[in-house]
Amino acid sequence: MVTKEVRDQYKVTIGIECHVQLKTNTKLFAAVGNDARDAEPNTLISHICLGMPGALPVLNEQAVALASKAAFALNSVPSPFSTFDRKHYFYPDLPLGYQITQFYQPVVLGGSVDIFVDGKPKTVNITRAHLEADAGKSSHPAGADYSLVDLNRAGTPLLEIVSEPDINSPAEARAYAHELYLLMKYADVSDADLFHGNMRFDVNVSVSKTDELGTRTETKNLNSFRSVEKAAEFEVNRQIELLEKGQSITQETRGWDDAKQKTFSQRGKEQAHDYRYMPEPDIPPVQLDSDYISRIKDSMPVMPGEWRTKLSGLGLDVSQTDILLDAEVADSTVDYLEILEKNLTDKAFAKQLANWFVNIEIPFRADENNTVSLSNEGRATVYAQTAALVGDSKLSSSNAKLLITELLTHETLPESIEKYADEQGFIQVSDTGEIEKVVIDVITANPQAAEDVRNGEMKAIGFLVGQVMKASLGKANPGLAQELLRKHLQ
Amino acid sequence: MADLTREDILQLARLAKLELTDEEIKKFQNELGDILGYVEKLSEVDVKGLKPTTQVTGLVNVMRNDEIKPYQADQQALLKNLPDRQGNNIKVRRVL
Repeated sequence: MVTKEVRDQYKVTIGIECHVQLKTNTKLFAAVGNDARDAEPNTLISHICLGMPGALPVLNEQAVALASKAAFALNSVPSPFSTFDRKHYFYPDLPLGYQITQFYQPVVLGGSVDIFVDGKPKTVNITRAHLEADAGKSSHPAGADYSLVDLNRAGTPLLEIVSEPDINSPAEARAYAHELYLLMKYADVSDADLFHGNMRFDVNVSVSKTDELGTRTETKNLNSFRSVEKAAEFEVNRQIELLEKGQSITQETRGWDDAKQKTFSQRGKEQAHDYRYMPEPDIPPVQLDSDYISRIKDSMPVMPGEWRTKLSGLGLDVSQTDILLDAEVADSTVDYLEILEKNLTDKAFAKQLANWFVNIEIPFRADENNTVSLSNEGRATVYAQTAALVGDSKLSSSNAKLLITELLTHETLPESIEKYADEQGFIQVSDTGEIEKVVIDVITANPQAAEDVRNGEMKAIGFLVGQVMKASLGKANPGLAQELLRKHLQ
Repeated sequence: MADLTREDILQLARLAKLELTDEEIKKFQNELGDILGYVEKLSEVDVKGLKPTTQVTGLVNVMRNDEIKPYQADQQALLKNLPDRQGNNIKVRRVL
């Protein structure tokens, strides 16, 4: 194991390549359906996907539009002129013998992504992002002397986003991967469904004691933020251990074994590829005029960075804001940010709302035993009225939670939420006379505790408040109960 | 241009997934050397100030709508061309 002391002597340098599957109906170069999730093998294919002689690929304009949106999401602009190239290698899941990609003039040059790690902001620069066609999927049945190839995914449009080596820790790697996810999701350029491989990360890691970069390894095909962080962590430790033993790092491609939480060598340097890039003669260049580019810019929705700015006045911590940003896109039918935005002028309420979302509704929805039926409009009403009841001391914060989770499961709201809360026994009694009766009963029933309070042992008052709450079946306003107890025990 | 080395040819053959006999290697050392020599003549042209050419058609923005459209050869016709299959999967020599 690498001790912290040794680890601290090394500078960690990480660059990440991310393949994002674009949200199109059809493939990048063929008018064939793109949704391979539930499709039988080789049902989404064409002569173009199979690389038949004479087939002419034609570029999907929607893929260009989505890549252009992604450019703005990456704090960049789409390149006015980009071209396609062939990248050659042989593999059974690549029938053409080359991948069509953008090597020399990509659709996005430059850009940046802002991340937060331990509450501190950091900017990771983007080298480039380019369009390319995905390969097919090969599987290798255990024990068989053959492999099986399914070309449904062949030709699916990908945007490969390449970062500068600006990332300096596994935690930053994770934060970057997560922020890319949010950016792609908010820009609506990808379903960004990690489970289905819509975003795949290749993590390049090197360590060095000096300013000169060390030999790097590339761990490919990570499909979760957690595996990005764990694989980077594993590589950092593995490389430091090797160097500390006086050994050297082999520049190589590695895979990630999620079960063992380890990276493993996949392809040594001796097999390093010579891709022989050449311009793709079948796809004419893409030229985007300034009208097109400004139309795309105007179509951009509010992005995570802007939401953070909007919410910044509420005093939420970074992780709360991230939970809200995640929840907003986890289920597109449920609004959080928009409800918050409408209430930003009432800061105290907006903050209460954010806390209720983060602490009550989002965890409530995450539990699959719960079903939320209430519309966004209904939810907004519930929160507004619950806040009013709490403000009037009619509802304790724990009963507010019960009321909210109860009402979320309703399809239609009761006519009066206050009346409903009262019927459910949630409303606390703030009627002094009524509570006073209970207080007197409790003092009589607990002479020892009452005596302790009279003698200045204020610890005992908590016990008595508890007894009042119990006797009132939880309805007494605890603040008022304590006040009355003090009055009677002076 | 001088002949290519034996290693050059073997590297090219490996990239092209070709197996060459010794005779062929010798032949290609010579032939490919000649071809490269011929192409190298192009480097004599002064291209200062010219943008690299990626296309000769002059076309730009040849794109299609993002709509599914049937092609003449349907899926079954395409699969008929496969040398070997298992169900709908393409069967190939084991690669891993």
